[in-house]
Amino acid sequence: MRTLVFIPAWNEEASVDAVIADVRTHLPEADILVVDDGSADSTTERAQAAGVLVATLPFNQGLGAALQTGYLYALRQGYDFCAHLDADGQHPASEVARLLTEVREDRADLVIGSRYAAQPEPLPGAEPEGEDYEATWSRRIGINVFRFILTLATRQRFTDTTSGMRAANRRVMKLFSENYSPDFAEIESLQLAVREGLRVEEVPVRMLERTGGSSFLTPLRSAFFIFKGLVVILVGLFKPRHAEAE
Amino acid sequence: MTAALAPFAAQADHVSLTAQTRIIAAALAILFMVWILDLIRRDRLQERYSVVWFVAGLAMLAGAAFPGLLKLVADVMGVRDTNVALFSIVLLLLLGLALNFSVIMSRQAAQITRLAQERAIERAREQAAREELEKRVGGEGEGSVRE
Ligand SMILES: Nc1nc2c(ncn2[C@@H]2O[C@H](COP(=O)(O)OP(=O)(O)O)[C@@H](O)[C@H]2O)c(=O)[nH]1
Ligand SMILES: [Mg+2]
Repeated sequence: MRTLVFIPAWNEEASVDAVIADVRTHLPEADILVVDDGSADSTTERAQAAGVLVATLPFNQGLGAALQTGYLYALRQGYDFCAHLDADGQHPASEVARLLTEVREDRADLVIGSRYAAQPEPLPGAEPEGEDYEATWSRRIGINVFRFILTLATRQRFTDTTSGMRAANRRVMKLFSENYSPDFAEIESLQLAVREGLRVEEVPVRMLERTGGSSFLTPLRSAFFIFKGLVVILVGLFKPRHAEAE
Repeated sequence: MTAALAPFAAQADHVSLTAQTRIIAAALAILFMVWILDLIRRDRLQERYSVVWFVAGLAMLAGAAFPGLLKLVADVMGVRDTNVALFSIVLLLLLGLALNFSVIMSRQAAQITRLAQERAIERAREQAAREELEKRVGGEGEGSVRE
């Protein structure tokens, strides 16, 4: 059983090494792929120097396209399971390990790490170090709007719709490598997976504050984000179902 | 009241397309189509995207040659003023064209994304192959090729 952990990274030279080291420590059995989304900095060089493979997109294509690259690679290279986490140090690899356990034991096809579900007791010796994650107000509005709408659209309760920490099996790799909205990856992918009859599960995780760089979500962008999200979810309701995954 | 206005309406129809307007419109339509042809000839425009422009040019030419057509269309649309009919048709046509371009753009954006992804994956594979080779060469040469 082979596992790929991929890390979408866009101008994350400040933190990518640490994230790779973290994944190595907590997921020693997994292969690591950094997907460099057309960074202008030395993200690719840093990751290669750290000894992992890097899929460098020739130009910035956005988070959705970067994640899809990871799913496509995992599918083509015949991995059984895959997981992804942010390159900014917000996602402790110890928590990703818990998501992977769920898909490996076949309790779900797609597992989402949720910041807002009831918090778990950290495993002894695996407490992630750093400041706990606090969402900005603009993000909190977006989060709540999406939580509500996505729950309506999927009739399944989601608390953290924009989480970028996920684990998946081959069924999900197949689905996402063909259909993954470049515009609105996180939310539409959840809706899509539920519609295709896949088992999607949330697992409570801890996330940390960014260690370097800055988030791309300014209040204005958030508003645009929400608007796009509404359109995406609405349209998603009427999309034809794909042939059954697998 | 209506009867009193009728001659004005008829005159308005007349004024909207004078012989001068028709000649200018026809000349423009022909120029336009020649321009399209030239763009195709110089490989600046692909044939498949030129069809819609030819149709637009021909429609313009037809409208100039047979003003009766325009009158007919206006009647069908239920507008008395042929100018209004003309403008609405052109507006709708442009709107349709703009949407058509958005559709084409979306398709091409998806294709570009996939191309970029394929290239990225290829790069990772190249890196893997290179490192594999370096390892093998390094192993044989007992560290002599080490950096
Ligand atoms: N903002 C942004 N992040 C990208 C892109 N491509 C890949 N990423 C990576 O996606 C992850 C999430 O980005 P981030 O800005 O931290 O989002 P947030 O954690 O949801 O605030 C980071 O690891 C980025 O490096 C992109 O085009 N834009
Ligand atoms: Mg982040």
